[in-house]
Amino acid sequence: MKILVIGLEGAAPEIVFQDERLTTLRSLMDVGCYGLLEGVIPPSPVPSWMCLATGQDPGLLGVYGLRNRADRSYTNLASVDSRTIQAPAMWDRVAEANGRSILIGVPPGYPPRPIEGLSVGCPLTPGNDLGPYTHPPELAARIEAIVGPYPTDVADYRTADRAALRDRILDMSRKQFETLRRLMAEETWDYAQFVEVGLDRIQHAYWRHLDPDDPRHEPDGPHADVVRDYYLQLDGEIAKTLELAGDDAIVLIASVHGARRCEGGFAINEWLAREGFLKLKSRPEHVATVARLDVDWPAATAWAEGGYSARVYLNVKGREPEGMIDPADYEAARDDLKARLEAVAGPDGEPLGVRAIKPEDAYREARGVAPDLIVDFGAMALRAIGGVGYPSPFLGADEVGPDDCNPAPDGVFILASSQLPAFGEIEGVRVLDVAPTLLELAGLPPLPDAVGRNFLEGREPTDPAAGPTDLDDDELLRDRLRGLGYIG
Amino acid sequence: MIGLDGLEPSIVDPMLARGDLPNLARLSGDAGAARVATTAPAQTPVAWSSFATGVNPGGHGVFDFLRRDPKSYRIDSGLNHYEQKSALLPPKAVNQRKGETIWDRLSAAGVPSTVLRCPCTYPPDRLRGSLLAGMGVPDLRGGFGTSSYYTAEPDASPREAENVVALADDGRSPIDTYLLGPRNPKARDGLRFDIQLARAAEPGVLTIRSAGEPRELHVREGEWSGWLKVKFKIGPLQATHGIVRFLLIRRDPTIVLYASPVNFDPASPLFPISSPPDFAKKLADDVGRFHTAGFVEDHNGLINERISEEQFLAQCDDAWRERRAMMERELARLDSGLFYCLFDTPDRVQHMLWRSREPEHPANRGRDSNPALAAAIEDQYRRGDEVVGQVLDHVDDRTLLIVLSDHGFSSFQRQFHLNSWLHREGLLALKDGLSPGHGAGEFLQGIDWDRTQAYAMGLGGLFLNLQGREGRGIVRPGDAGALRRAIADRLSGARDDERGRVAVRSARPRDEVYSGPYVEEAPDVVVDYAPGHRVSWSSSMGGVADGPLHEDNVKKWSGDHCIDPSAAPGVLFMNRPFRRDGARLLDLAPTILNALGVEKGPQMEGSPLR
Repeated sequence: MKILVIGLEGAAPEIVFQDERLTTLRSLMDVGCYGLLEGVIPPSPVPSWMCLATGQDPGLLGVYGLRNRADRSYTNLASVDSRTIQAPAMWDRVAEANGRSILIGVPPGYPPRPIEGLSVGCPLTPGNDLGPYTHPPELAARIEAIVGPYPTDVADYRTADRAALRDRILDMSRKQFETLRRLMAEETWDYAQFVEVGLDRIQHAYWRHLDPDDPRHEPDGPHADVVRDYYLQLDGEIAKTLELAGDDAIVLIASVHGARRCEGGFAINEWLAREGFLKLKSRPEHVATVARLDVDWPAATAWAEGGYSARVYLNVKGREPEGMIDPADYEAARDDLKARLEAVAGPDGEPLGVRAIKPEDAYREARGVAPDLIVDFGAMALRAIGGVGYPSPFLGADEVGPDDCNPAPDGVFILASSQLPAFGEIEGVRVLDVAPTLLELAGLPPLPDAVGRNFLEGREPTDPAAGPTDLDDDELLRDRLRGLGYIG
Repeated sequence: MIGLDGLEPSIVDPMLARGDLPNLARLSGDAGAARVATTAPAQTPVAWSSFATGVNPGGHGVFDFLRRDPKSYRIDSGLNHYEQKSALLPPKAVNQRKGETIWDRLSAAGVPSTVLRCPCTYPPDRLRGSLLAGMGVPDLRGGFGTSSYYTAEPDASPREAENVVALADDGRSPIDTYLLGPRNPKARDGLRFDIQLARAAEPGVLTIRSAGEPRELHVREGEWSGWLKVKFKIGPLQATHGIVRFLLIRRDPTIVLYASPVNFDPASPLFPISSPPDFAKKLADDVGRFHTAGFVEDHNGLINERISEEQFLAQCDDAWRERRAMMERELARLDSGLFYCLFDTPDRVQHMLWRSREPEHPANRGRDSNPALAAAIEDQYRRGDEVVGQVLDHVDDRTLLIVLSDHGFSSFQRQFHLNSWLHREGLLALKDGLSPGHGAGEFLQGIDWDRTQAYAMGLGGLFLNLQGREGRGIVRPGDAGALRRAIADRLSGARDDERGRVAVRSARPRDEVYSGPYVEEAPDVVVDYAPGHRVSWSSSMGGVADGPLHEDNVKKWSGDHCIDPSAAPGVLFMNRPFRRDGARLLDLAPTILNALGVEKGPQMEGSPLR
């Protein structure tokens, strides 16, 4: 029994579940089950896709974002790559059962994972000429013979020249799907996972044209349909891909976070500085990151790294090199900071909707150098900006770059198989439940330290008697032919 | 390129001579109508597919309205079939017509095309330009067209291609009933759209209330209503729209109501019916809703005698009007490239009204003759001529105008029970206990394959029960050639003794008729009937009739053209001189490509008509 996972980076529930034109997705929803897919904290692609594949939360993986503190020094951040996370994943269980996998674009996918099967690098691939982006290396030539130079990402997607960008994104998507389908057709495989990143890039560039509440929205403008039409394009690509999945495949369409308009940013270090947490010896002349600031570390209690969510770190004696907080006071200091963050109000006096989460509340265990708080602002309406030197911590949408879109905490899932009845909409499904569910459906052993559970367990199908359309139905054929005057 | 489906040379010529077709006369001058040789068989989807691709049916794969799957002996549409390529997705239609079309070649050369209602263009071809699919587009029920008949009469039973819906009518109160939509993919019954029938204050008027558009639709006794837009839920998350019209047959004392097949709504069809997909909607936005189903004219309503000839012709009027409006809209936009528009209506009218030309036609027996109908066919030809006039307004000295019919027409007075002939010849056997007649069933179901060497279905010919091809074939491949020849020789010249004339002019093994990659799908023996004759209703559907081999055709479908192709040529007009002798449908594709400066496809069999 094969497993096919198609990841659509940033696929938004409001579009996936509402747009009637997406007939492939709706057909899958009709015969299977679907719903929101609760993301991990934080819901960024790294580590979310590995959480999905391993069943472990970010704390267990020790990865809290794309860049993590490598050690307890203040500014030594290391980028994650495919070697960082060694926890066993679904493809390892497949290999143990003598199966083969195809992985395309699964972050972190560079260097290409040396799995039992084939893998192709993800958007973190630095540039195809800097080293092989496929495993095995010979796969690259085979792919290039099919699609020409293989794009793992589009260059410059935070650009202002959006028309050309859209064409590049469409081109990338077609090539990636074409590659997936050729490999599915020509290889034996038991597990295939593809993460399509073009949707995320399209949404970053065009969300303002979709969202009427975005102040930059142009109603009836020339780009009004770009995002929705992209979903339609994906719907068609998925239909073609399903034809190669085999009759008994388990198919999962998923996104690890949704999408929403970016309303601006919150310069968290600027706020920490003003509130007295991040003591500076001198204010910077221009906006500067923590690494370049003149920080009075022995006097500083906290600093943060920016991103869609902020990772906030406390400066603890005996833990950090120039720690300031006594370990006995750590909890109280953290609670104080959390309370003050959550009380932050915007320039209009209304609470910003800040949520500060302790890792032990979010994860089974917090391995590696974990943040002391993970903070998001208005369910990611605002990005966390790391620089200091702004006139105010509140930044407008036009001050945070030409990127229109932030992730939203929940993605989507659609699961279908001819071996499964229809379950309709299912609530409460998490990214962390995917691996346990798929492995159990496929009859493979569970993964260690899996946090989630099989989300179908104990659920009643909506219509146990329902079956797929029977093409060979005599009556159906008779119906087709009646009305033809020549023969009736 | 204007298609006037089924225009018959022997009707066109005297009308030309009388000055009844002035616009066509401008094109043909004194020479009369040129003949254009049609395909074997002489059928609309086959002929237009050969027109479109420039190859014989062996090159494009459309041989008949019907085809069978040899492995299962299942009979299906010959225009398209459904494939379910993924167990998780509903089946999708696949066009039976293969090959490279005129517009494929033009698109590759950067030349645009507008193609309106060409048969066998569903699912719609992708092209540079616009295309609206024609014959082959199903109704929402998935077939050629299933209508509904609403009545309070207790013993009404469904006739061909029709659902009967029983009404509880006390003569006064509104009646809650429903429209039948697509099959419910999960259960086997049809999906329903609720409607309520209420007598209006005005006598003879019925109001149809529903959640559709408009919420109240009025229909007058004896007349067709406007369009009602309806919606069916086809799954927990999916809905589709359709459009339907009603004919109020009677309002009092109890309602008798007829509903046309539910068509795809051009503004949001269940599957795309145009390229680009939103072209159909753009047309509808400008010219109003139109029939999208492949068969527009309601011949079934007339065959089933639910509607009268006058009501049928009124609906045909609407078909002309819709087609002219969409043609006009596109002609106004035409700048360069190919423009094609087909008018199907003359074909359908001739099928249904041919008996009005022949008082002795068996279909006239027991039916009132209506002298007003005698002129109906020529009226259709005049309308065709008017369309040509409308088109000529857009033609300049850099425009090549072609007017074409795909085949001619003939009387259908006698039907030949081909399967019964095979049975008598010992080539076809029925299952134990079954005899020819109703008991033998239809759809080839009564046949004992283990003892059958040949069988017939469709309108074009017969098939061998071949080992390796048919699911339970018995004829050895090495014997096939000789058996085809033997059957052809025995069948050729078969006489209808009752009428004292030959019924089967010739029968030919398929390799004498077809060539190309799809020859394997062709009938093994092609049967060419003499004018006046055709394969029987029963044999065409895979039945085995009892009684005499030749029988009168008494159905209202009284004209046909599925005869010896050389007896059913079409007509051809152009606005420049061309070689009139030996013109074939296969020559049109090279002619069009040549006129637009594009090289013809290497497989195209004809040459430019100059």
